[in-house]
Amino acid sequence: MSPNEVAAEPTEALAVGERPSAGRHTLALFLSELRLVFGRARTQVGLGVLAAVPLLIGVAIKIAGSDSGAEGFIGQIAGNGLFLIVASLGLSLPFFLPTAVTVISGESLAGEASLGTLRNLLTAPAGRSRLLAAKMVALAVFCLAATMTIWISGLIVGFILFPVGDVLLLSGSTVSLGEGLLRALGIAVVISLSLLGLAGIGLFVSSLTSTPLAAMAATFGTFIVLGILTAIPQLHAIHPWLLIYRWQSFADLLRDPPYWHEIGRNLLLQGGYLVVFYAAAWAKITSRDIT
Amino acid sequence: MGVAQRSRRWLVPVTAVAVIAGVGTLGPVVADASPKLPGISAQDLLAKVQTAKVDGLSGTVRSDADLGLPAIPGAPAGSEQLTEMLSGQHTARVAFASPDKARVSVLDNQAERVWTTDGKSAWAYDSSRREAVKLTVPEHKTTKPEKAVPSYDPQAVAKQFLDAIDPTTKVEVSGTEKVAGRDAYKLRLVPKTDKTTVGSVTLAIDSKTWVPLDVTVMPRTGNDPALEVGFSTVSFDVPAASTFTFTPPQGVKVTDKKVPSQDRPKRVAPKQVEPKQVEPKQVEPKQLKPGTAKAGEPTVIGEGWESVAMIRGAQTAQLTGNGPLAQLLAKAPTVSGTWGKGKVLTSRMVSALITDDGRVFVGLVTPDTLQAAAAKAPR
Repeated sequence: MSPNEVAAEPTEALAVGERPSAGRHTLALFLSELRLVFGRARTQVGLGVLAAVPLLIGVAIKIAGSDSGAEGFIGQIAGNGLFLIVASLGLSLPFFLPTAVTVISGESLAGEASLGTLRNLLTAPAGRSRLLAAKMVALAVFCLAATMTIWISGLIVGFILFPVGDVLLLSGSTVSLGEGLLRALGIAVVISLSLLGLAGIGLFVSSLTSTPLAAMAATFGTFIVLGILTAIPQLHAIHPWLLIYRWQSFADLLRDPPYWHEIGRNLLLQGGYLVVFYAAAWAKITSRDIT
Repeated sequence: MGVAQRSRRWLVPVTAVAVIAGVGTLGPVVADASPKLPGISAQDLLAKVQTAKVDGLSGTVRSDADLGLPAIPGAPAGSEQLTEMLSGQHTARVAFASPDKARVSVLDNQAERVWTTDGKSAWAYDSSRREAVKLTVPEHKTTKPEKAVPSYDPQAVAKQFLDAIDPTTKVEVSGTEKVAGRDAYKLRLVPKTDKTTVGSVTLAIDSKTWVPLDVTVMPRTGNDPALEVGFSTVSFDVPAASTFTFTPPQGVKVTDKKVPSQDRPKRVAPKQVEPKQVEPKQVEPKQLKPGTAKAGEPTVIGEGWESVAMIRGAQTAQLTGNGPLAQLLAKAPTVSGTWGKGKVLTSRMVSALITDDGRVFVGLVTPDTLQAAAAKAPR
């Protein structure tokens, strides 16, 4: 594919274009990056699959009937549609969401490299850090968009299929539907932040290769290895350092009052992973040869 | 761009790793630095503890147990509650208000088990089953032991206590530490005998309210605590009365229970509802067996740290099968003495001796002490 053919890519146009002013240029870069990420067919398909998760669960529960006797959040869906949001988010967390993040983050730099557009982006050395920042921001926005897709889809499906009302918290107390929705929104935000560590790893891996598929495979492989390490009890000494160890802590938002300790630890850890791998990606991208 | 300049950029992520790992591992250590407190003798400290009186408290308690108990796959149902609390980490929110209000909620993964009493009724709630049990509490009973009423001379009692345990245990104030952000004295009990597996027991006692905030049990060997239970956050404000009330929410199955008075509200063990697992309870067959009366009653042999509990009438025939417990025992070494022959199970803290004639000896002691106790034990 020659550079001319991919000139339609927004980043390409920007990179070779003149730079009117730093601020406007940065904003334009970020916006074009968002357009690039959300304009891709695979992003839209991914979000579509995520939106289908609440629908699948909701229909399955509806068919199975209310006395399925399931434990946890799934068992509460039949009584209160709001729990469809929580259950869908919880069920998407171990697999669907990481897969989506892996695909998008693996694509981010390696995709440009495979198309040949990265070369043009890198010819302006001062812009490399900013380019990386734009890529990361787009990834973070995608993480939020992914969980919000489930939140909105769960809200719609849950309210159509099931009765809704006051929300029973884990502690045995009840809050209003509005507060329940707010807490579910909080869960969506916490889960999207929980994905940032993985997004950081994906961004770094993506900076190493010019094959998007290899980047995705490597990132997903890393994710699976972390999952296996977390599942081995003999390694409990290193567990608190593993990316996904505290992922399940989002449910602490449904306690009365919310228990912030584990959530805080989780977000700190995600921040740590993000800083390390973002810095590594930065070191790689800024020292990269233009070939 | 030169190679040197380029590789220097990699210092940024490397530094990030170092800083994060450093803060993560050393941060808690620095925060736990010993506070400066006026010196106090063990006797004075014990006297103060007796006068401790709080009108209410609330906080988060963490427990971390590593007794080195062998994991028994498919262990008998019902025993899981006990083994669960004796292994791994648990977090619970606790609240207490004088004289008879208390609430404990164990924060499980995406679930919560709550026990609460406002003095008149008690509730147990299990969020994963969405089941609540209501118990009517006899008036004089509370779920927490009441604080000692100082109607005696605390100093004398403290001295009496110290004199009583002096032959077996060294008691000392071993320093200070921060527990849940509060300055605390450390009171350390060290067994004088080497026959026990307990290395030391350390209590952290708050320097203002004199309430114990933390208990740490160290094994004789190794540097990791076998058991640590303590507050990670604590407040001595009296919690609101609404903390202790429980309104059964809609969609929750409520069971009313009239209980014998001495019972603490217990969790409805969900496992008991399920069909019996393959391995029958070890305790049950022996109770049916004629001739072995009072099978479950343990006899205590020895004193202090060397105490060993003997349980008669365990049906050892059960243990030779193919069950998980039998497999565990098959690997255990066989020992014999004047008392007979049996298998010894050892862990970091607990040792057990199972004899061929169906007696079980258990204690926080070394295997040798168990055998000595077995020799002294009545048949």
